[in-house]
Formats: sequence, C-alpha cells, structure tokens
Amino acid sequence: MVIQLLVSGIAVGIVYGLIAMGMVLIFRTVGIMNFAQGDFLMFGGYFAYTFNQVLGLPIVPALILASLCMGAIGILFMRTSYWALRGAQAKAIIVSAMGASIVLKEGARLLWGSIPLSLDKVKEGSVTIAGATIQWQYAAIIAIAFLLMLLVYVLLEKTFIGYIMQATAQDQYMSSLSGIPVVVSIGMTFALSAAITGICGGLLAPIFFLSNTMGATAGPKAFAAIVIGGFGSVPGAIIGGLIVGLVEQFGGAYISSTYQLVLIYVVLIIFLMFRPKGLFQEKIQEKA
Amino acid sequence: MKRRILSCMLAVTLLAALLSGCGQKGGGAIKIGLTVPLSGDRAAEGSYASNAAKLVEEEINAAGGVLGREIKIEIQDSTGTDVGATNAYLKLAADKDIVAIIGPDNSNDNIAIASSAESSKILTTGQGSSPALQSTCEQGEWVFQLRACDSTLCAALMDYACNETGAKTFTIIHDTETASSDQARLFQEGIEAQGGTVENVLSYTSGTKDFTAQLTQAIQTNSDAIVMACLYTEAAIIIQQARDMGIDRPIFGSNAFGDPIAIDLAGDAINDVYSVTAWVPNTPNELGAAFSAKYTEAYDEACAKAAAQIRDHVYVICAAVEAAGSTDRTAVRDAMLTLTSYQGAITTYDCSTRGNCGKGGLIVQVKDQVPTIVKEITT
Repeated sequence: MVIQLLVSGIAVGIVYGLIAMGMVLIFRTVGIMNFAQGDFLMFGGYFAYTFNQVLGLPIVPALILASLCMGAIGILFMRTSYWALRGAQAKAIIVSAMGASIVLKEGARLLWGSIPLSLDKVKEGSVTIAGATIQWQYAAIIAIAFLLMLLVYVLLEKTFIGYIMQATAQDQYMSSLSGIPVVVSIGMTFALSAAITGICGGLLAPIFFLSNTMGATAGPKAFAAIVIGGFGSVPGAIIGGLIVGLVEQFGGAYISSTYQLVLIYVVLIIFLMFRPKGLFQEKIQEKA
Repeated sequence: MKRRILSCMLAVTLLAALLSGCGQKGGGAIKIGLTVPLSGDRAAEGSYASNAAKLVEEEINAAGGVLGREIKIEIQDSTGTDVGATNAYLKLAADKDIVAIIGPDNSNDNIAIASSAESSKILTTGQGSSPALQSTCEQGEWVFQLRACDSTLCAALMDYACNETGAKTFTIIHDTETASSDQARLFQEGIEAQGGTVENVLSYTSGTKDFTAQLTQAIQTNSDAIVMACLYTEAAIIIQQARDMGIDRPIFGSNAFGDPIAIDLAGDAINDVYSVTAWVPNTPNELGAAFSAKYTEAYDEACAKAAAQIRDHVYVICAAVEAAGSTDRTAVRDAMLTLTSYQGAITTYDCSTRGNCGKGGLIVQVKDQVPTIVKEITT
C-alpha cells in the first residue's frame, strides 16, 4: 500500500510541481501570477490528442509537437493578455489572464467538443513491485518530469538564452539598457512555461482523460505548491508539488478519502501560519 | 412630414409582423424550454441533449407538429451547477410563449429549480432520479420526475449482486455530490436488506482524478465486491485505475457505468462491470431502438441516456399539450396528470404521481464494451 501511494503521490506531485514551476517562471519575470496556467495544461493535452489520435503519430513525437504548439500559444498569450497591459496595475493583468482562461476553455470546447477524450499512454500496462501494482505511465511521468527539469536547468543556467531570461526576470529596465530585447525574453519565458505545462497535460490525459475543465483542479494545487515551496523559487515549486501530491495520496488513504482536497489546504494554512515564506525562504509579502 | 414618416414606419412594422406570422400555422410555434449543461464539467450531457432536441424537433414537425403547430425547443445553458440551472430556468420561464420546461439531468439541479417552477406555474419535467427529487415532485404541483427513482433501481441491483453473483461483503466508493451520495446510501440499504455486509464506505470529492487512495483501501478491505456510485467521467477513470491496480473482483456501478460515454472512455477496463440503468443504446424497446438508430445515423455516435431522455421528455410534453388541446400552462399541467401509461423510448410513464413517473429499469453487464441486459426490472 505504501509503495503504491508513494509512486502515485510522486507522479501526480511532480506534475503539480512542473505546473507550479511554469507559474513561477512567469511570476519571476513579470511579477504576476498566471491564473490561466491550468488551461495551458488542458490545451497541451488537446494538442497531444490531435497529434496522437487524429494525425496518428506515436505518443512521444505527439508530446514534443504539442509542447512546441504550446510554446506558440504561450507567446500569443503573452502578446494578447500581458504585453498590452504591462504598464497597468497588476489586478488588470490578473483579470486579463482570467479572461484568457475562459477563452482557452471555451475555445477548446469549440475545437474538440465537450465529450471527454483520451490518448495513448507512453507505455501501456503495469508492473508489480512488493505487492503494489504500478502503472508504467506513472513511471513515465516521473522520468519525463525529471528530464524536463534537467532541460530547464540547463536552459536557464548554461545557455545564453537562459541568461537573458534570468536577467529580464531580475530587472527588466536594466536588461533593456543592456541591449536585451525584453519583449523576446518575456515571450520566451511564457513559451517555456506553456510548453512545460502542456507536456504535463499530454502525460496526464491518458490517466485522467481530457476535458476543457481539467486545468481547474490542477491549477489550484499548483498554486498551493508554490506557496508551500516559497514564492518565486523554482526548486521550491517542485518540492511543494511533491508535498501536495504525497499529502493528497497518503492523507486520502490514512486520514480521510472524502477530505483529500481539504487536507492539502490544511497543510497550506499550516505553512502560511508557521512558515509564510515557504520552504525556500523568499517572503511572500515582498513578491506579492 | 413627421406624421407621414411615423405612418410609414407603423405600416412597415405592421407588415413585418404580418409577414413573420405567414410561415407559422395557427399562432406560431409551440415553445418548449430545455436547460442542459452546455459548459462546465458535464457539458458532454448537454451535447447529447442538444443533438437529441434538434432531432426530435425535426421529427415532430415533419409529422405535422402539435395541435397543427410546429414545436420549437429553446435551449439554455445550465452550466452543470444548481445556480446555473436556476438562472437558465428563470430565463426560459420569463418567455410567456414557453408551455413547459425540461430540467437538467441531475436531481440536485432539478431540486434547485423546483421552487422557481412552482412560483412560475409552468410544467417542468425533471430528469434526475433521486428519492429527494421524487419527494420534491410529490410535494409540489408543477414538477414531474420523468424517471424511475433510484430507490427501486439501486435495490434491484443489490438484490442481483447478493442473490445472483453470490457476493456477501461489499466496499462502496462514491462521489460526494448529492445524487451519487444518495445512490451510495440506497446501495447500502439494498445490501443490508439482502443480508449482505458493507465493510467499508469510501468517498471522494467531485472532480477527483486520481483514485489511488480509495482503491488502495478497497484492495486492503478485500470485500467480495465493490460498488461504485459515480458520474460518467469519474466512472471511466476509476474503473481504468482499478483494473490497472489489478482489481478483478465483481464491480457494480450506478447508471453512469452503462453509459456510452463511460464505456468509450474506459475501453476494455469496463468489461464485466454490472450497472443499473434506464437506458442502453441497444434497447429492446421498439421506439427506443428506432430513436437510437436514427441518432447514431445522424451524429455517428452511440445514443447516450442524456439524448434518449430528451426524446421522451419532449414527446410526453407534446402528448400533454395534445391532451389539453391548448397551450395554456395550467391546462397542460392538468393534462399531464392524465397520462398514466405513455409509452416512451426508454420506458412507460405514469405521470399521475408526479414523482417516480418512469417504470422499471435494466441491470446490464458490459461485455466487449457493449452493455448487455442481464435482467429487466419491471416494477
């Protein structure tokens, strides 16, 4: 039982962590929480469905193409929902993101319909470890998530593009004075964030199925992961996601299956009361 | 000059009003309201219902309409929530030309609109099947539950589980939304009435996607069988996850488990699952089979319960209008009470009771992804 819960907790938690990481990347760059991040998850899943089920591509190329499409969606999202309002108050941008969320949801319903859909798993079947039956898809999610984290780390820490993105995140004004094309840098951040989250949608869809509301449950959990991990911290988002996933699974099995979701928010409240900076120290007040 | 312009405008308005009436027979179309979720988590039901509404509207109008007039079905989005259902209902009720309104396919939403139906004094047909909706209908005057109540269906399934499959101990897993919680309670009562034992009751909040915690506990409880009360998407997810976790003991489910939406999504995983339902696309009912074939031909998809129900609700309302001989709302409601054995595509309806108007149901087992009838419930 413990192994079963541990594996599914890590698999689901790491997805929350990746969604949270996407939100943190945007937050660090433009100082705004993207409330449409859950919809990137949904849209990515639908793109993966289109490549896999409609065009007949194998699931791995379908996921790669879906992430590229989501990169484009991320740039489009930035140009339409953020860039025009960049000089406005933060609440105007938040409302704009919420509006974009509705557009994405209803757009998905118009394009792909309202009946839930599914797509191929990365690997079908399951394996039994110490009496626990583990789906290969969960193992694939964990492996691909670690690969994505490694790629993001290399991109941000070892490449010129990453330096530009980090410089823009630290100080947009100074970056522009240094000749960095800020609009391109911010666009790349949105693209990266949408691409990562979109892949997660394609990975979760075979287990949870695709619907235009699938981002509605994952988004708030990713937000909880950010608060637990510490606002603005990329490693914090991943660790926070894992904590949320494990609390959800073990809390559901050992405390109450009915109040699984409540338990996540109890942990969130405990963090806000006793460690409001989150695990990785940055003060929420300074960031918000 | 001004007077001449005004006279011309008045003449044009009158002419337009006259011409607009030319295409309609005997006083314009008879309007029927329909509230279905076109957005939100349950939008798939709305898609089936809207398709069926279009099909039935065409069918009835092609056959000469009702009272020599065409019918027109006005659809409003209930968003899959009780608040959305009430708003959609009130919009429809405000239209004085609407003779009756079909409520959403969810007992909770129908209970939410019941007070509006009573105050609007408009015939309303509820698609939900819970005992709570049954008593709401029986206490009021304007809402009719055109379904067989879950109390009969759930008891029949548990009777089958205990006496035909030999299961004696059960674990129940259910959604915490009202209808599924009611079904879980009825399943439990049904098991206990047959001398069985419920060893564990597990639940989850609506929208849950990962059921590892619930299924792990169900495996540990090791009952003879598992009973599940879920909505269709969750039904497909939980059954897939159960099979992936190696659960192969008998599973009994609520009506969602026999629905084409859940079967399509779950694939082979849903094979062998028993469920109790009012409708299967391969129904033995002649009217039902004809409608199912027509729906599949028109939309290239299996006819789900959400579609078949709309067909029956529209036809029952039209029968009430025919019996009333007018579109007066009170006359139509009174005529509805006289329909005591109306044959529909799903079942026979006795509307004299207001609650539990649909009769009987089907116990089905999914075999090769086809819901196969194993027993007919006749009460």
